[in-house]
Amino acid sequence: MRLNSLVFVLLAATPILAQQPAVSILQRNCSGCHGASQQMSGFNLATREKALAGGSHGAAIQPGKPDESALIRRVTGKLQPSMPVGGKLSGSEIAILRQWVEAGAPWDSSAALAPAQVPAPAGRKITDADRNWWAFRKPVHHQPPVATNARWRNSPIDGFVFAKLGENRLNPTAPARKSTLIRRAYLDLSGLPPSPEELDAFVRDHSPQAFAKLVDRLLDSPRYGERWGRHWLDVARYADSGGYEQDFTYPDAWRYRDYVIRAFNEDKPYDRFVREQIAGDEMDDRTSDALIATGFHRVGSTVGFREKDNPQYRFIYLDDLIGTTTRAFLGLTVSCARCHDHKFDPILQKDYYRLMAVFNPYVNYNHPLVPHAQVAVYEASKADVEKRIQPLKDRLREIEEPYRQAAFDSKLATFPVDIQTAVRTPPETRTEGQKLLATQVLTIRPQGYRALMKPEDLAAADAVSKQIRELERQMPKPLPVAMGVRDGDYRLAPMGPGDDEAPGKAGSGPRADDANDSYIPVAGNPYRPPKSYFLERGDYTSPGEEMQPGFLELFGGLGVPTAIKPPGSRITTGRRRALAEWIVSPENPLTARVMVNRIWQHHFGRGLVLTPSNFGRMGRRPSHPELLDWLALEFQKSGWSVKKLHRLIMNSETYQMASEGGTGAEADPENALLWHFPERRLEGEAIHDAILATSGKLNLEAGGPAYFAPVPERVRKSVAKGIWVVNEEGPAVWRRGVYSYFKRGMKYPMFEVFDQPDPNVTCERRSVSTVPTQALTLMNNEFVVQQARFLAERIWRTAGPEQQTQVRAIYRLALSREPAQSELTANVAFLNRQLAAHNGSASPGLEALADLSHVVINLNEFLYIQ
Amino acid sequence: MKRYTSRRDLLFSAGGGIGGVALASLLSQEKLLAEPTGGLPCVAPATSGGASRKPHFQPRAKSVISMFMTGGVSHIDTFDPKPALRKYHGQPLSGVGDIVVRQGYPGPLMGSPYTFKKYGQSGLEVSELFPHMGSIADEFALIRSGVCKSNDHVLAHYEWNTGSLLMGFPSVGSWVSYGLGSESQTLPAYVVIYDPRGGPNAGVANWNNGYLPASAQGTVFRPSGDPILDLRPPAGITADRQRARLDHLAALNGEHASKFPGSTELSARIASYELAYSMQGCAPEAVDLNQESEATRRLYGMDDPITEPFGRQCLLARRLVERGVRFVQLFNGAKARTDIDDWDAHSNLADNHGAHAREIDKPVAGLVQDLKQRGLLDETLVMWHSEFGRMPISQKGLGRDHNPGALSFWMAGAKIRGGQVIGATDDFGYRVTEQPITYHDVHATLLHLLGVDHKRLTYYFNGRQMRLTDVHGELIPQLVS
Repeated sequence: MRLNSLVFVLLAATPILAQQPAVSILQRNCSGCHGASQQMSGFNLATREKALAGGSHGAAIQPGKPDESALIRRVTGKLQPSMPVGGKLSGSEIAILRQWVEAGAPWDSSAALAPAQVPAPAGRKITDADRNWWAFRKPVHHQPPVATNARWRNSPIDGFVFAKLGENRLNPTAPARKSTLIRRAYLDLSGLPPSPEELDAFVRDHSPQAFAKLVDRLLDSPRYGERWGRHWLDVARYADSGGYEQDFTYPDAWRYRDYVIRAFNEDKPYDRFVREQIAGDEMDDRTSDALIATGFHRVGSTVGFREKDNPQYRFIYLDDLIGTTTRAFLGLTVSCARCHDHKFDPILQKDYYRLMAVFNPYVNYNHPLVPHAQVAVYEASKADVEKRIQPLKDRLREIEEPYRQAAFDSKLATFPVDIQTAVRTPPETRTEGQKLLATQVLTIRPQGYRALMKPEDLAAADAVSKQIRELERQMPKPLPVAMGVRDGDYRLAPMGPGDDEAPGKAGSGPRADDANDSYIPVAGNPYRPPKSYFLERGDYTSPGEEMQPGFLELFGGLGVPTAIKPPGSRITTGRRRALAEWIVSPENPLTARVMVNRIWQHHFGRGLVLTPSNFGRMGRRPSHPELLDWLALEFQKSGWSVKKLHRLIMNSETYQMASEGGTGAEADPENALLWHFPERRLEGEAIHDAILATSGKLNLEAGGPAYFAPVPERVRKSVAKGIWVVNEEGPAVWRRGVYSYFKRGMKYPMFEVFDQPDPNVTCERRSVSTVPTQALTLMNNEFVVQQARFLAERIWRTAGPEQQTQVRAIYRLALSREPAQSELTANVAFLNRQLAAHNGSASPGLEALADLSHVVINLNEFLYIQ
Repeated sequence: MKRYTSRRDLLFSAGGGIGGVALASLLSQEKLLAEPTGGLPCVAPATSGGASRKPHFQPRAKSVISMFMTGGVSHIDTFDPKPALRKYHGQPLSGVGDIVVRQGYPGPLMGSPYTFKKYGQSGLEVSELFPHMGSIADEFALIRSGVCKSNDHVLAHYEWNTGSLLMGFPSVGSWVSYGLGSESQTLPAYVVIYDPRGGPNAGVANWNNGYLPASAQGTVFRPSGDPILDLRPPAGITADRQRARLDHLAALNGEHASKFPGSTELSARIASYELAYSMQGCAPEAVDLNQESEATRRLYGMDDPITEPFGRQCLLARRLVERGVRFVQLFNGAKARTDIDDWDAHSNLADNHGAHAREIDKPVAGLVQDLKQRGLLDETLVMWHSEFGRMPISQKGLGRDHNPGALSFWMAGAKIRGGQVIGATDDFGYRVTEQPITYHDVHATLLHLLGVDHKRLTYYFNGRQMRLTDVHGELIPQLVS
């Protein structure tokens, strides 16, 4: 109190003008979160009185004592979290605030942060500077520079790259050898090395079109989709199970995986690919593929357990949908705006909740992939079987009931007397505590009652159970379904595992007044999409105003379509479709750039933008902005053809440079300007596939349900939930890695050790680590050692006993080239040493070859694209 | 791939998980110790240096042993005595708003079946479930005010072990190994040993590297036999044969690397084979408990079949930190398949906690005593914790449901003042009333004790500089002063 009166005196003595700068600094920098509309940590700077009152962390301003004032300590970083979040006041601003606190924090009431001056909940204003960020301006056509050097004049891409190298006085490396080039193209496009025959044919083909033809062949092969589909599956955070506690299997997720592979193989126009994944169910031509594509929203991690009791899960899933969609297609981190306006990019918290309103009507739905009539037949026959089973179930209960009761009674007898008494006391005379005890105990499900059953009752129960099982076998075979989404009312979702309709539990609460009749809208009944709200600080228990669906305010005025029209023929909001149209609109500055950058990244190991899912201020600026724009415009012009983009890139000199040699290492160690082709390690799946291709054991069976890779028992033991099928090594599991069951709770060890990304969030770029456990895997893993032996047998069969021929054959198979003379000598010497070491074994020659085979698939040259 | 960079980069790309400052004396000791165990000897590779990275400031401890009791240990029956519970036994808990239980229906208050006793000079109260832990009460700082958000086992495991409610974030151990690397050249930086009966709730997510490089992932050690997956060649590949293959591999790889002068990644991969080869000898040596004296084994309860499994885990933990492993995480309890597999005492507290307490009490105390007598306690942070506490009200008459509102755990070593009690709960232990401590606070403190500023240990991912503590975390003043 004494302090306050002191302040009052000081305030009266300080000219108003001197107060203004401090207050306006607070207003500019702090009032968005600590103002009239929003008071984070309960701290409000709207008036002096409120400011002095402090917040949940106590007083923020100690008038006269700047060093003890949390406000000053936070803006100077002495107290964490420092303020303002994501920014920093200038030295002079801090000095003004210090003086102001020193002076007792004077504050003229006319300088109060009046509500009218404080922007509505999402306070950030989109400025011209925001709109001028390179990624938010539409791509502009740049004339490709024409190189003086003839080698760099074939492709416009080369013009851009070569010009940049010239500006930086960097010399590109020589063209790659043909054998290197074919191996590079094969590993890049199909993820498999070329066969020796393909190698020979290419090396012999001296026509100028030889490489272009090779690229065409590779793009026509179904292996291409398996390779590039896997890249997209990283972005789509694809897995075959839901993760979390139960790790429930997604039995139909593979259809989405196959859809992605098919989309790449068919060169589905990218705009269509986007539309189908976001809103395939709302499209006018809903093909089976369009419905399957909506699995994009389903293949993320989900709890699948006790969801009705835990409403927060719905918001976690919505966040996943918003985050994955905006990162994947737009390269924007909209999720950062869940609790507050984005700290770095012009994305408002309101934008986030507008997008939430776009997704909020979605419900999980397994679209039948057969005609309606067939669905009706299926439903009828299922209902018929269920009807016949019901009386049997009733009968079973009748037989078992007395024994259940007996089991309960004997269980009750083991409880302390006070609990027994509580249960036996008539309900109306139980004390409050006894009521609680009785409710708890009476709901215990008795175990072990079968042991109490009389033989004749046991036999009768078993007979009924058998009948039930027989009837269950008559259930019609489940229809093929697309694991997808549609619009509906999630609040009416059917009960799932662990959901409990017990009184007092969340799932059984009163229905919201805007609820619909059913989970899935029914024709003829009105459909009201569930309302969506602004959530204060992202907290689902603090709903604010109702939000209408919409997109990013930043793009207002760009001419991107924003109209939301429900398609006439179906009961759905059309919101996701409108989102998709907004994303693929030619006016959207991001979409094409983001995708061409992803494609570029997988060809060169790094994108023109190093952060493919973040084109905002915290991402990296493009190394070749003009080239990126040029590619983006070409991509749109080509009808969003990904295959044409591959051709454009691969037929450039830039792609065909050697990875070795060159002189730019000092000036550009990261090779950002592409003075050489960047060598890079294969991913785990590709190493696995390349080993199988080399050993000759690769099973090219494509598509369909996932296979379960053999995993040692000790690894399986760390997980208890979900499914896993135990398999032995053999042709059935020697399929391409993309078809391997991807369990969120347990990765296949070989993929994991080679940096397979965590499938719980979208992955923009895999990390590449080098650790001894990778070496241990390639040295000792049973699969690898066995395949090395198959490779040796293959060579033994085809090349015969002559050692030089063996070495040549193994180099051609595994490394796609002829060995140099020195390599020939060294490897023959090794074979001879091993031959001597295996003296006495049944086939020393084969054993020695097994040693060499194993060495070869461990070589860096085998593991790297170069 | 980057070229022509510093030696530090080379070591970094070799992976934070492996490598490390050469502890010449330690390694030569290991060499001597390892010979008689059969198989390959433990010899450090010829390459010197490693991937131990400098902390931000002078650390209080070099390594961490975390003992995680999966399932939820009841604080009010172990470390947080509540006489009022007995007094009001059988009466409803009222005046606290809606009581959220995980399963079934809220019951009346239930007194603890256990008596508490004061221990040591500090007079810290510990229940009769943990007489051995009582005997080391002066060594640890007890925190009675832990809180987390979720009452779901798995989510609460994510909270304590990764700092997030969601699946897929890097674990504490991953952040530590990413930040500090290993001091061992031949063992991983981060080792996990779970209950031989099976993995804990949330499984691998507890030691997952999330978006951090794979090198930061926890390596699961089996408590006996070959500790690491694919550690040894399959049958038919003798040591000589493997060595011959590796020598030839090194020769060919060397030739190839000469075409890419300065490629750190290719040379790191070549070096990783030698490290892997050393691990084949050193990892089995590290888990070979035959080298321990009878007295030591008894100290850990290895002479009793009940305490033997966790005793083995604890003794391995000591051997691993002795050998430079940065972070060892032990789990007791296997993800519940029955009511007794882990500490999840829904239907009968006394049966459940009685059994688990007996398994771990002596080994835990033995570990702390052993570290102390070897002079290792000061440089090792030892933690004993669980995902949440349990309810003061009963479930199914005799059990207790989950309670994320209050949990007791302790931290010892790292020059922490033992015998102190931090925070407090209400009369029934339902909610924390004094100095609530979140997992972010614990993580910030843990990193601080290792010499790392939690606000400066960051990793760029998906558009943000990510942190273990996100935007939270305050140091626990009593533990860092």
